[in-house]
Amino acid sequence: MLTYNSYLTPRSLPEALNVLISAKGSVVRLIAGGTDILPWARQGRAGDVHLDTLIDISSLSELRGVTLRDGRLQVGAATPIADFIRNPLLREHAPVLSRCAVWFADDQIRAQATIGGNLVNASPAGDSQPALLLHDCRATLSTLQNQKLVERQMPLSEFILGPSKTACQPNEVLVKIEMDSLKGYGCAFEKVGHRRSLVISTVCLAVAVKINWSSKKIEDFRLAIGAVGPVPTRITEIEKFLVGKAPNGKLLRDAAQMVADYVRSRSRQEYRREVLVNFVERGAVEALSRAGVSIERVAKELS
Amino acid sequence: MTDLSELNQTGIHHTVDISAIVNGRKVSRRVPVHYRVIDFVREELKLTGNKEGCGAGECGTCSMFVDGELMKSCLLPVQKINGRSLETVESLDQQGTMSILQQAFHKAGSSQCGYCIPGMVMAATSLLRSNPEPTIDQIKEGLGGNICRCTGYQKILDAVELARDVINGKSDLSALEEEKAESFIGHKTRRLDTPGKVTGAIKYAADMWMPNMLHMAVHRSPHPYARIIKIDASAALAMEGVEGVITADDVPGIDNFGVFIEDQPVMARGVVRYVGEAVAAVSAETEEIAHEAAKKIVVHYEILDGVFDPFEAMRDSAPQLHDFAKNNICKHTKIRKGDVEAALLKADLVVKETYKTAAVEHAYLEPEAGLAHVEADGTVTVISPSQNLTHHRHMLAKIIAKPIHKVRMIMSTVGGGFGGKEDMIYQGMLALMTMKTRRPVRYVFTREESFVTTAKRHPFTIDYTMGLSADGKILASKLEMVADGGAYAMSSPGVMNKAAILGPGPYSIPNVWVDSIAVYTNNTPRGAFRSFGAFQSEFATESHLDLCASRLGMDPVQLRLKNLMTDGAQTHTGQQLDQVLATRCVEELIRAAGWSPGVPNRQSHNKPARNDLGQPSGVRVSCTLGANLDSPRDAA
Repeated sequence: MLTYNSYLTPRSLPEALNVLISAKGSVVRLIAGGTDILPWARQGRAGDVHLDTLIDISSLSELRGVTLRDGRLQVGAATPIADFIRNPLLREHAPVLSRCAVWFADDQIRAQATIGGNLVNASPAGDSQPALLLHDCRATLSTLQNQKLVERQMPLSEFILGPSKTACQPNEVLVKIEMDSLKGYGCAFEKVGHRRSLVISTVCLAVAVKINWSSKKIEDFRLAIGAVGPVPTRITEIEKFLVGKAPNGKLLRDAAQMVADYVRSRSRQEYRREVLVNFVERGAVEALSRAGVSIERVAKELS
Repeated sequence: MTDLSELNQTGIHHTVDISAIVNGRKVSRRVPVHYRVIDFVREELKLTGNKEGCGAGECGTCSMFVDGELMKSCLLPVQKINGRSLETVESLDQQGTMSILQQAFHKAGSSQCGYCIPGMVMAATSLLRSNPEPTIDQIKEGLGGNICRCTGYQKILDAVELARDVINGKSDLSALEEEKAESFIGHKTRRLDTPGKVTGAIKYAADMWMPNMLHMAVHRSPHPYARIIKIDASAALAMEGVEGVITADDVPGIDNFGVFIEDQPVMARGVVRYVGEAVAAVSAETEEIAHEAAKKIVVHYEILDGVFDPFEAMRDSAPQLHDFAKNNICKHTKIRKGDVEAALLKADLVVKETYKTAAVEHAYLEPEAGLAHVEADGTVTVISPSQNLTHHRHMLAKIIAKPIHKVRMIMSTVGGGFGGKEDMIYQGMLALMTMKTRRPVRYVFTREESFVTTAKRHPFTIDYTMGLSADGKILASKLEMVADGGAYAMSSPGVMNKAAILGPGPYSIPNVWVDSIAVYTNNTPRGAFRSFGAFQSEFATESHLDLCASRLGMDPVQLRLKNLMTDGAQTHTGQQLDQVLATRCVEELIRAAGWSPGVPNRQSHNKPARNDLGQPSGVRVSCTLGANLDSPRDAA
């Protein structure tokens, strides 16, 4: 059971940070959607947890809203996952995250859970991370110094340090995620778990592709995998292999084979390898199809 | 983080004022600061239509609308609805009639135990509000956050499709009315209890409440096998709000219960035999105080070497878990028919294999719960979702040393049981606690507590030997089955019997040998679970027949048809059968399944592997749903 002496709903970011900083971190937790912290404080996981204070940052205006600036999207950390499906601006400029959101948990949890929460939770199987990696996102952390808001930014690869570990300090709040607009890219998100909804990924993968229509070649290819190692990863080897080439079934098959060695999970490696290789190929075909290029997969011989 | 839990050991919490519009009415209440929305609605407002099935956002039966958006109320701190509007399942039929969707659930028979149904109805309502024309795949996706354990999803999907069509005018309102038929057989009849289930009106044990009621929590063993040296409840009893502690010492009568063998005390008596066994119970003014007090009960144990494998448990050197059960054998059922050894010698083919099954949790959506009170004339009344009410009543009378007419057991609506609620594992504690405190006492399991402490399906190890003639007649079957029975017998003897009786299958076999043995171990007790043992043994039989078919080079269906019992057959235990429809069943089944005859596993005959997956005209169905991002609903 999660219990606490007080639950604060501050009206501004400085107010929230003041509470956070004066509490020295140890028995204070931030809460946004709450969909991870409540199940965590139960028997079999953290057990009973008693905190001094929970600080609800989900309604802070500094953490809400989506804007487009110089080709980069600025997404408030408290943006619910559901917004990636229903907000037209996000659908247009963050198509990988939109596809990811469709596979994220279930309807109810998508309405509660936030993109920032999924990130700070830093689960090796967090579904949003491979998608965010494709968007070359940067996390903006905020704190107070002499009562002044101070921000620092870092790429996702520096933000996520390992399972449940991030660069976010006890006196900081993740306020914003800045990312590339991938408008015009064809995208795909693949995920497998024990069932369709509300399932932790055994393997997940995000693909985005842009076609140069004058040369009919791949202009940009972005691929990231999740749940198969300690942190989600971009596979630059495959990206480089495909950029500048005209897509065909054989090429995608060759590219897919290259992913197998990236499986570094602690369990079910063989299964994950097989799924991941197929996912890369299927994801690439689907992303290309959304980009306007129809590719037939090379037939597979079953052993 | 365990140190954090020590910051508040009183169970008494700060409070917070919450104002919200609940089902259209303004509500202002002061509640504990850590309440979730589900606690606020159920415990404070006593709106018990939405249930708590898991407390972790997995099952969806607590789903409610917050400002029109469906959320899981077990994951929402109550502050999140402050100043906002909340709609519970009770909001759907406020006009006094069920909504079209609820009527469709009634018509389609979409509720069995009903515990998931409030959440299903809410999720379907949410879906139809945002997307009035969902496809079947979109319906499945929309209900993806909701788990059902007994209705079966098909009828629920049927109901949502029916409601969709009625709302959109594609079907007439009359489609919601009951089919007119002369007979109930072969026709869809509406269940009488469905209106209460789809509206949330029906009361399960955890929905009940009595004035002056106490809440109970149970201190459970962390050890699989240990001697209890001393139980010290002084710290718990010293807490403000605690009203009583009970242990085995509080049992006035004969402290034993069990479905077949009465080998289990209400709370551990001198020794604990599995992790999660109840050692003491505490009641208090609030659930939180009871919970903290249970943690403060200190039990001194002498740890003993347990045994966790049934084969090891049968050895002479193994610890003896119960005095009366030599070599820890709880039950040994035997069937001896004909001369199996002689028949195996004569058989053209003898196939041996070992089959293993796992322990399985029932996971009914309603965690165990009960409410007990003492009536003015001293009658002890226990309300609970018991699947074995009369037997429980008789056992309880002996335990609390009262005449049978002073013991009353009331069966509350069962939110799924599947056999898992046949064991009287908490009703005894409730009775003792209400007798001790003279106050009504309620006890509601958490999902985790239900998982940890209740009986599971028996894991079996089955050594199978079958002898057949070259043309596929089964000449002899030998099943040597050993099941892990766990710490107490519960339904083990019955499960062993049924596994033995039904294990060889509906086949005419002249020579049969079955050993079906349940063994005590220090694992969680095993008990009744749908099909009661036959699942395990028949799994082995049917798997084994497939194996035999491949060795014989025979189509597995033909092998079965050749051996199925027919009219006038005698079962392996000597029951004379009049009519046997097994052959017709199999014929109908293979027709419906589109079975293509052939030998399975052809590699064993040096033939190329079946390339099922590569066949272009196959009947493969995708096992995951597509992602419907580009659907009208998403575009809306």
